[in-house]
Amino acid sequence: MTLSISRIFIAAWLATGLAVAAGDDQKCHGTARECDQQIRHFLGGRRFLGATIKDRSPGLVVEFVTPEGPAEAAGLRKGDRLIACNNKSLTTASSRDFKQVLADARETGMLYMIVWRRGAYHRLRARLEPYSKEQVDKIIAAHLSQSHPSSAGGHR
Amino acid sequence: MLRAILSKLRIASRVGGRPDRVSILLPFLIISIGLGVLAWRSYTLSVRTEEGSKALARQYAGYAAEITASRVDAAARAEMSLVSDEWQQIEKRIDKPTFGSLGAWIAQHDWIVDAIYVPDDDPASSIYGTEAATGKSKKEVRLTREFFTATGSIRYTYSPQRLLATPTVQTAIRQQIPAKDRRAGTMPVQQAADVTLVSGESEGYRELTDGFAAVSALAPPLSSFAVRAAVRTSYGTTGWENQRVLSLWVSLLALVLLAIGALLALRGMSKEAETMKLRGALIANVSHELRTPLSMIRLGAETLKRGKLKDKERQDIEDQILREVLLLSHLVENVLDVARIQNQSTRALAFTPVHPRDLIGNLLTTYESWIRSKGFTCTVQIDETIGEQMWDRDSVSRALLNLIDNAIKYSADEKAIEVILRQTSEYIVIEVKDRGVGIGGNDLTKIFDPYYRAQFSDTTTRRGAGLGLTLVQQIVASHGGKVEVESQAGSGSTFRLMFPRDLAGDPAESASFGRPREAF
Repeated sequence: MTLSISRIFIAAWLATGLAVAAGDDQKCHGTARECDQQIRHFLGGRRFLGATIKDRSPGLVVEFVTPEGPAEAAGLRKGDRLIACNNKSLTTASSRDFKQVLADARETGMLYMIVWRRGAYHRLRARLEPYSKEQVDKIIAAHLSQSHPSSAGGHR
Repeated sequence: MLRAILSKLRIASRVGGRPDRVSILLPFLIISIGLGVLAWRSYTLSVRTEEGSKALARQYAGYAAEITASRVDAAARAEMSLVSDEWQQIEKRIDKPTFGSLGAWIAQHDWIVDAIYVPDDDPASSIYGTEAATGKSKKEVRLTREFFTATGSIRYTYSPQRLLATPTVQTAIRQQIPAKDRRAGTMPVQQAADVTLVSGESEGYRELTDGFAAVSALAPPLSSFAVRAAVRTSYGTTGWENQRVLSLWVSLLALVLLAIGALLALRGMSKEAETMKLRGALIANVSHELRTPLSMIRLGAETLKRGKLKDKERQDIEDQILREVLLLSHLVENVLDVARIQNQSTRALAFTPVHPRDLIGNLLTTYESWIRSKGFTCTVQIDETIGEQMWDRDSVSRALLNLIDNAIKYSADEKAIEVILRQTSEYIVIEVKDRGVGIGGNDLTKIFDPYYRAQFSDTTTRRGAGLGLTLVQQIVASHGGKVEVESQAGSGSTFRLMFPRDLAGDPAESASFGRPREAF
């Protein structure tokens, strides 16, 4: 009940909220340094694969592989179908399940995958990479330019 | 056992000579024992009820806390899944989430502090947004939560305090209104628990001054918060209004009332017993009083019948017989009058205009020889200005005669009687003074009681039934007046009959003095 009502609400606030967000600069509650710290905290220990997975219920298919990402390095290609990953069957899984597997693999950073490509199974081994300093800086810079226009240049 | 005790008590009472006291106290004793048993029973019952209501309150508080905690947990979870749903709606609508849409999403939910969106395809293009600058405290506890969407994942921090303050969660905390009960107020346990959200309280039960509280922690990640439910009991108070103390009070009150009742009954009983004793004495007295004159009369009559007497002797005997008959009739009249007036019988007083002066004169003339024969001198002092009074001639004469009779009876060496008629502003006063033995202080209050005779009035030397003064008082009272006595043991006494003055002109008013006068 609550859910359906709130869905109706969403339409309303999407219209207004987006209009407001587009026009105004979003001011942060904290200083630029706090935001910087918070982003680094969020991304710390977090690793990325560098691939977009599409949910073809049932089953998961690689839709896009980021160039020079860990996925490309491991040999994952567009159109690969994910069969299993880290001892977990993905034949009927959703993309959310796969992301959970990724989150679980945060400790070791290793991903053992079996994919199905053009009628054959391939065994792949991917090493999840932490965010590089450049990537983190880019994210911070994007946030600062949006949210802290005054301190965007002078931070570092 | 009980029978033995009872019989022993009965014997003891018989031996003690005051059977009435024990016989009246015994039932009261039994009743008070019964009351004591009832009080003890009611006390234990109250204690038991109190225990029961305590257990009930404890249980109720526990349930309330537990149920509310699970409801709050569910509400918080629902709120969290709601925000992730909303975000996925945004993702679907817009091709690629922007900084603005993330900011709007955060602004929409008051309790989300900041969030980062990490798209799957390009991690480097993650967006970070925080809530708009507000005055909210930065020292709040922050928790982090992550959820996955179709194109990426969201990681956000939120303030659990603010989450628990959202309307959906507050609805879960709010206590449902208890069903209306017609017997509301009779339950010792209130049918509602005060449910509040607390932080930093350990789980478990605790006793309050007036009830119980139970604390139930929320599920993780909100486990630093807990729901506290307090149930109040009306038994919890320790003051005098506490039920068990109240039952003791009531029993105590009943016992006190019982004691008062017993005391009153005992007093009435002893008074009754005294009257009975006096009545017994009267019978002895009267029979004695009757016998003496009767034997005198018989003796005289026998002597006369034998004849051969000198004229003087004959006259002496006739005088004696006459005197004794007079005495006898006087006695009988006294007894009858007292009985009549006491029973408020139909023989009412006949109020007629009387000159007090004449009344006293006639009386003294009639009884002069008798008074003189006793060796008394009688001086009379009369205020001649006193007019006619509405009196009952016979009864006033009888009262006066009784006083004179008393004066003669209780005489000492100095044999003088003084009769004074005078008036004050309110009363016509007839005073009879003697120089006799007087009346002691203790007896002074009792001499008007029926059948009472002063300590020294032993029946052998002073004859009488103990009714004279009672009659005097009753007669004067029926005229609306009063009797005053001044006396000291050994120095004579003065009786004053005080009749109200204004009785003379207004016969209607005399009706208000209590005695019926319409009998004729």
